[in-house]
Amino acid sequence: MIAIAIVFFGALALLFLGINKEEKQLQLASSLILGIAGLAVFAESKSMISFDALFAWVPSSMIAFNPTAQVIAAVMAFMAMIIVNIFPAVKRKGMDIIGLMMFSLCGGILMLGSQHLVVLFLGIEILSIPLFVLAGSDKDNLFGNEASLKYFLMGAFSTAIFLLGAAFLYGGTGTMYFHEMLLRLSFSEHFGEFPVLVKTGLILVSVGLLFKVSAIPFHFWSPDVYEGSPNRIAAFMAIIVKIAGFAAFAQLLSAFAPMQTWYATWMLPVSIITVLGGNIIALVQKSYKRMLAYSSISHAGYLLLFLMQPIQENIRVLGIYLLSYGLGTAILFYLFDKYAQGEDKSVTIFSGISKSQPLDALALIVATFTVAGIPSTIGFIAKYQLFTSAFPSVKWGVLLALIGSAISISYYFKPFRVLFNSSSEVKGAFSITWKSVCLLGAVLGMLILGIFPIILNWIF
Amino acid sequence: MELLIIAPLVLALVSALGSKWNKWLSVAFSLVGFALIAINSNSVYRAINEKNAFFNIVDMPWLGETIHFSLGLDGITFVLLLLTNILIPVIVLSLNSDKSPAMIPLILFMQAGLNGVFMAQDGILFYLFWELAMIPIYFITLIYSERDSFATTIRFFVYTFVGSLAMLASLIYLGSKSVNGSFAYNDLYNVQLGLRESIWVGAGFLLAFAVKIPLFPFHVWQPNTYTYAPAQGSMLLSGIMLKMGLYGLLRWYFPMASESIDFYQPIIMTLAVIGVIYGAIIAMRQDDMKRLIAYSSLSHVGLIAAGLFALNSSGFMGGILQMFVHGVNVVGLFIAVHIIERNYGSRSLNELGGIAKNNKAFSILFFLVLIGTVAAPLTNGFPGEFLLLKSLFDYSTTYAIFAGLTIILCAVYMLRMFQFSMLGEETQGTQNKHIPMIELLPLFILAFFVISIGFFPQWYMDIFQNSTKGLLNIISNAKGVLS
Repeated sequence: MIAIAIVFFGALALLFLGINKEEKQLQLASSLILGIAGLAVFAESKSMISFDALFAWVPSSMIAFNPTAQVIAAVMAFMAMIIVNIFPAVKRKGMDIIGLMMFSLCGGILMLGSQHLVVLFLGIEILSIPLFVLAGSDKDNLFGNEASLKYFLMGAFSTAIFLLGAAFLYGGTGTMYFHEMLLRLSFSEHFGEFPVLVKTGLILVSVGLLFKVSAIPFHFWSPDVYEGSPNRIAAFMAIIVKIAGFAAFAQLLSAFAPMQTWYATWMLPVSIITVLGGNIIALVQKSYKRMLAYSSISHAGYLLLFLMQPIQENIRVLGIYLLSYGLGTAILFYLFDKYAQGEDKSVTIFSGISKSQPLDALALIVATFTVAGIPSTIGFIAKYQLFTSAFPSVKWGVLLALIGSAISISYYFKPFRVLFNSSSEVKGAFSITWKSVCLLGAVLGMLILGIFPIILNWIF
Repeated sequence: MELLIIAPLVLALVSALGSKWNKWLSVAFSLVGFALIAINSNSVYRAINEKNAFFNIVDMPWLGETIHFSLGLDGITFVLLLLTNILIPVIVLSLNSDKSPAMIPLILFMQAGLNGVFMAQDGILFYLFWELAMIPIYFITLIYSERDSFATTIRFFVYTFVGSLAMLASLIYLGSKSVNGSFAYNDLYNVQLGLRESIWVGAGFLLAFAVKIPLFPFHVWQPNTYTYAPAQGSMLLSGIMLKMGLYGLLRWYFPMASESIDFYQPIIMTLAVIGVIYGAIIAMRQDDMKRLIAYSSLSHVGLIAAGLFALNSSGFMGGILQMFVHGVNVVGLFIAVHIIERNYGSRSLNELGGIAKNNKAFSILFFLVLIGTVAAPLTNGFPGEFLLLKSLFDYSTTYAIFAGLTIILCAVYMLRMFQFSMLGEETQGTQNKHIPMIELLPLFILAFFVISIGFFPQWYMDIFQNSTKGLLNIISNAKGVLS
């Protein structure tokens, strides 16, 4: 709760205070707010500090954060901080864009703590509505308008499906509280059969969420929306929405733990199609950003594999994977944004940066290794833990996911073709700016967490 | 001994930050590993002969309770550590231009990874180092190869990565069956698998190792990678890297999936022997010296793999000795080609000739390494290859006859290479040019091993004799459980 409160009031304050200021001046303030929110919720998760007294009025049967959810909330806040920080600010007055991003983050964090279907729905909507606007925030870009409209239509459509499913679930179980659902389903499990209403409801609710996390075959909106939106917003969607979506998905499905073997029967195919499809389509993309979009689809597939096991026992695995995915993807989007200023959007934008910008080249290599899951980075630890934890329940799924990640190497590594070209640019002087510190921090974070994963045990 | 991993990493970092390239400093950096071995050699050697098993030297939790950073040591590991840490300085020594500043950190990084692979005593740690050793060589071949190399290197990386993922799947499967989900070597070894399971687990391991070795149909990445990679890259790949695959067979595949050995033995044997003949025949027709060595390496390694799969003591002893010898010889050949190419601007047999006329010392050293590869008696190739052929003979006479052809064929293509490049009339490119003596230094070092192993093979075999017996016992015990 504390994170939501800080981010929400911080965003409000910044909106009013910053009405006449350039966005650039407010970048630091907003990242400070996000950082404080992250630290506060992280400290709370480690029970170093407690804000329970402040939020005694919140009905804990509807909104309650368990420690892992709090850590994931902290991860989201820090990711948002990185995104706000490293991307260049828009040159215009007011800070509506950053403000909207922060409001959207509030929704994402709310999803993590939802213990009730309506709260989950609220969270999804608070997350999505600012994003409809943000996707089209570059008003002059025609593709941005297309992205915005597409995202809005798809969002409205998936919400409707989600709500229909929620109604069915209510009809089938007579409750909207997750913990009561779990109780009733355990009874049904005892009698050997689950009500058809619950089954239908679960499918519909899941489809609604699968739209949000863009799993194949519900993914058609995502590459277009990513491509049309400004890079910063695309990164935000690829990272924050996916983290929130999967954390909430895990929250929801742990209420349906008794039905696990049943829902695995249709979720396993979805997951495998998503892994293989995402990776194979990514192979043939010309644009690096579209490739990142498909890569994020394939990551949704790996994460779906995670959901078909006893979720609550291994929830920290999910957290680690989301952290690694978020870090890697944020850096890749940032680098794409930095070098894709012209017409060219393919990997050739990275030509020769190992000579002119060694730090960026290092960041590109480390981030690529992270998303590809190559050892010495956190990406390997995350993928390894995800696969081992899912292995006992879905053996074939894990094997096919391994094949998928082998395929992914061949497109992730494409920038390396030109990275070491000799470049005409003179070597840029290395200057210590806030941005380069942030970038270096993220790179070192990925490496250190990969080499000493024992730290992750403490974090999660 | 854990310093063998840490020290090269630190030195890699130091040399990456340093801006100026200094040859002797980097040679000194690469020698640190060897120095560490030399300092510890006495105590280690004693421990190896006392324990006769893969004993633990470092053990601490790395990720949760199930994965430990645990390193082990025995004679086989020791001999391969020796090989790695001798060859790395030699390779660095042969690097003679300051045009490749990133090479030294990458080589040192790789040294750490290779030392780790040979010492890892935990399944996941083994996989980790296996991949860590591959990353630098990928970048070495990518950055410094002679032409647009992306297609070659990505093929190399994807092939090996698919193999390693298959191995990872096998390791995860074994781990899910072991006590407390531990990945420790002994826990994985104690997992009892059924025949079907074992065949699948074995397939994962074998795919990884067969790609890395490379065995016959999995070698597709190899000739191009060896040819277009920079000389040092080819040396690292063929001299040390492929020993990872053979070592993996010995240390991981045989004990872990011993139930499946009977199933895979005829398949791998046949493939290996096909590879022996195939590599040799193709090598005979090559014009590019590097490509010739690549195919000859394919042929030699096939023989080692076949000998290991014969599963008898002469096969193991010969195989391990031959791993060391092959590393020395193939690096020597690549260095010789590198020297020729640097001084004469070509490595095509058509354009060379008569180099021996002006370069007596070089031609003697080159011939020594070459005759070692051919396995003439009293050179280092002979004892290993003799033992390997003997083991094959024990397994099946037919295989032994076909594999025995390798010595004849090898003499054909190797002597052809020597004749066309060193002897005969001088060509336009090779007239009146002298190779500086300083460039021959790495070859002198390798020549020492060619001769000393040739005359006193038992010196070297003593290192790993007891450990090999121990390993063979473990494998035959495990097989005995099933039958």
